[in-house]
Amino acid sequence: MRFSTRAFLWSFLPFTCLLAGSFWAARTAALSAVKEGLRSAERDSQVTLAKERERSDLKNIRILRVAAENPALKAGLQLLATEDLTPDAARRTVEDQLSEICDTMGFDFLAVSSPSGDPLAGVVRGKEGFAPVKFDSLRLPASGFFSMQDQIFRVTSVAIAQGQESVGTLAVGERFDVAEVAMPAVLLRGGSVIAASAPGVASSKVEAALRKCGPQAECEVQMAGETYLSVPLDSSQTENQQFTLRSLRSLDAAAAPVQAALRGVFLSAGLTALLGAFAIAAFSSKSIVKPLAKVVARLREGGKTGVLPEFPSGQQRVREIRELTDSFNHAAASIQDGRDQLVRAYVEFVSSLASALDARDPYTAGHSQRVSEYSCAIARAMAVPADELEIIRVGALLHDIGKIGISDAVLQKPGKLTAEEEALIQQHPVIGRKILECVQGFDAYLQVVELHHENWGGGGYPRGLTGEETPRSARIVKVADAYDAMTSDRPYRRGMRHEEAVRILEKCAGTQLDPSAVQAFLSLGEDPMLDSLHRLSAVVRTGAAQETPV
Amino acid sequence: MVCVLAALGSLSALQGADIRGTITVERKLTPRNVTPAAGLYQRGTPVKLRPDSDQDPLDYERSHVVVYLEGLQRSVSAPPVVMEQQNRRFSPDLVTIPAGSSVSFPNFDPIFHNVFSLSKPKSFDLGNYPKGQTRMVTFDKPGVVFVYCHLHPNMTGTVVVTPNAWAVRVEPSGQFVLADVPPGKYSVVAWHKTAGTFRKTIEVTAGQNSEINFFVPLPEIPGGEAPVHAGH
Repeated sequence: MRFSTRAFLWSFLPFTCLLAGSFWAARTAALSAVKEGLRSAERDSQVTLAKERERSDLKNIRILRVAAENPALKAGLQLLATEDLTPDAARRTVEDQLSEICDTMGFDFLAVSSPSGDPLAGVVRGKEGFAPVKFDSLRLPASGFFSMQDQIFRVTSVAIAQGQESVGTLAVGERFDVAEVAMPAVLLRGGSVIAASAPGVASSKVEAALRKCGPQAECEVQMAGETYLSVPLDSSQTENQQFTLRSLRSLDAAAAPVQAALRGVFLSAGLTALLGAFAIAAFSSKSIVKPLAKVVARLREGGKTGVLPEFPSGQQRVREIRELTDSFNHAAASIQDGRDQLVRAYVEFVSSLASALDARDPYTAGHSQRVSEYSCAIARAMAVPADELEIIRVGALLHDIGKIGISDAVLQKPGKLTAEEEALIQQHPVIGRKILECVQGFDAYLQVVELHHENWGGGGYPRGLTGEETPRSARIVKVADAYDAMTSDRPYRRGMRHEEAVRILEKCAGTQLDPSAVQAFLSLGEDPMLDSLHRLSAVVRTGAAQETPV
Repeated sequence: MVCVLAALGSLSALQGADIRGTITVERKLTPRNVTPAAGLYQRGTPVKLRPDSDQDPLDYERSHVVVYLEGLQRSVSAPPVVMEQQNRRFSPDLVTIPAGSSVSFPNFDPIFHNVFSLSKPKSFDLGNYPKGQTRMVTFDKPGVVFVYCHLHPNMTGTVVVTPNAWAVRVEPSGQFVLADVPPGKYSVVAWHKTAGTFRKTIEVTAGQNSEINFFVPLPEIPGGEAPVHAGH
């Protein structure tokens, strides 16, 4: 997993969880507060309406008392009580009186009962005037509902009094339409719904839900996933009929618009916050990773090239990264040091090998060291870059290492060499290469060792390269080697003087030697280092033979 | 009634003379309740209004005036007059009888009625009686007797008991005839339940018909136009 992904996830996911959790909690709290407010408002309004109904009932009773004080009706009741011969006519008389009262006062139903509660006579409004009521088993409640001929009536009763004595009860009824109740309501008879004005709820569900409610208790019921509040508004009980009128209003329906609005608000706010969180997490993870990514990129590049990168110290603003790069720098420096030491040790080892080789023959003693110094001087004059200069320095030190593999008899043979011996000698660059190939880290010097006998004009060995096919380092070392060889003493001749050697170098420039290298060498003519070198070489030579004027 | 007049007429046919006249009523006198009770309209219940009587209101007023003679005491035995109870009404609702005669009150309704009166000339209570039964009341003193029903407060009837047989209920057109009145000096009385009693004196000469007209207004209205009482 990438570090940036990890940083992003660890900032975004907890943020998202926290955000979602808090939004959910806030939304739930808001919704439940809204619902609770609605519920109490709903309850208050329903209770108020129920009280209002009671009050209006009281008002109606006052009017009914006046109707009950009708002397003609009282006379009719007396007739009904005393007439034995033609009771039907007496009942008809009272029914007729009741019809007239109904007609005048606009009632739908009017009945008189005996003081013991037995209905005596009653009329009901029909399409064609009033019709007498047949009370079979029907008993009227003192106040409340009863049903008759598939119609529901709501009655209120008042006593018909004569002095202190009650001579009967007058029950006034009006057709009850549940739709006229000022709120959604259901009318139940013995637990089953007989009229309802609450839309969209099946009667069976209402019955099942309301069965758990006490008859006079307000309760909340769950139907079809919605919460309804039901408040008892009215009830009546007779011997064989029990009616209850309850309000039934959905709290959820009332809360729905608020809920929808809240949901919208929370959804949009949540999405915005989530987007914000995403952006912040992305930005922060990127910003956390950025300095590290730079370091990683450079390290990766270093891994590819094999060069240990160095980080500029003090430029990293992030302390941890700074510490990281600094310690990397330290480590890299140590590694480089170690590597350099190793290489130096090799070089020293190999160059001491070469020196040992040189030292076998007093005539060639110090040859490798001198060639190395001349080569460096030429290279500096040619403005060779430092790393190539180092290659030239070490390569020149090692250039004749291959002569280890040539027998001393051939190497130190005075006089002219035979063709076989010449061929043997010419093997030394290849042998040197083979020796150094086995040493790790010496790859850079192989060319100098192998190709320092190639000619500018071709015809050199071992490959016979021409011109710039031969690397510059090898070309420079060849000039230095030639010069040292000419100016050194040999058993069969004395070393040439400087001017003479220079002349030969100039002559050979363009054929055997690289003219630019020769030119560079010539430019060193007054170089004090070269002078000092000359002096040094002269002293060395004097140590071995006689004094040679410079 | 015609029979009564005819009978009286035959007794004094020789000297008698007719009194004719016209009753003029220009305004409705009887306030009638034509507005249904407010309760009828409650809760949007459609209620059929009772159709107005197709009778002309002034015809109604004129036909509810009784004209009779005062100043002639002569009791006669006349057959009883019938005042039926039908459809919760007295029918006819106004009868006139000479003192000493009877009115029978048969019940033709399928319900009970209880006819009674608390008027001074005659108070009575016939009790409850059902369909098919009848009760009879004899009125001895002249005067106006208002008849009611205990069970039906809306029922009302009037029996005008006159001192003699010369009494008549005016025709809807306003015409009336008191036939074969013996010569003499009398008061002609016109009575209306609401408007009250109007008197005019007249002297009847044998064989000479006379004419007397009444203008029946409402009783005096305070601040209104003074009613003209003919004959004063």
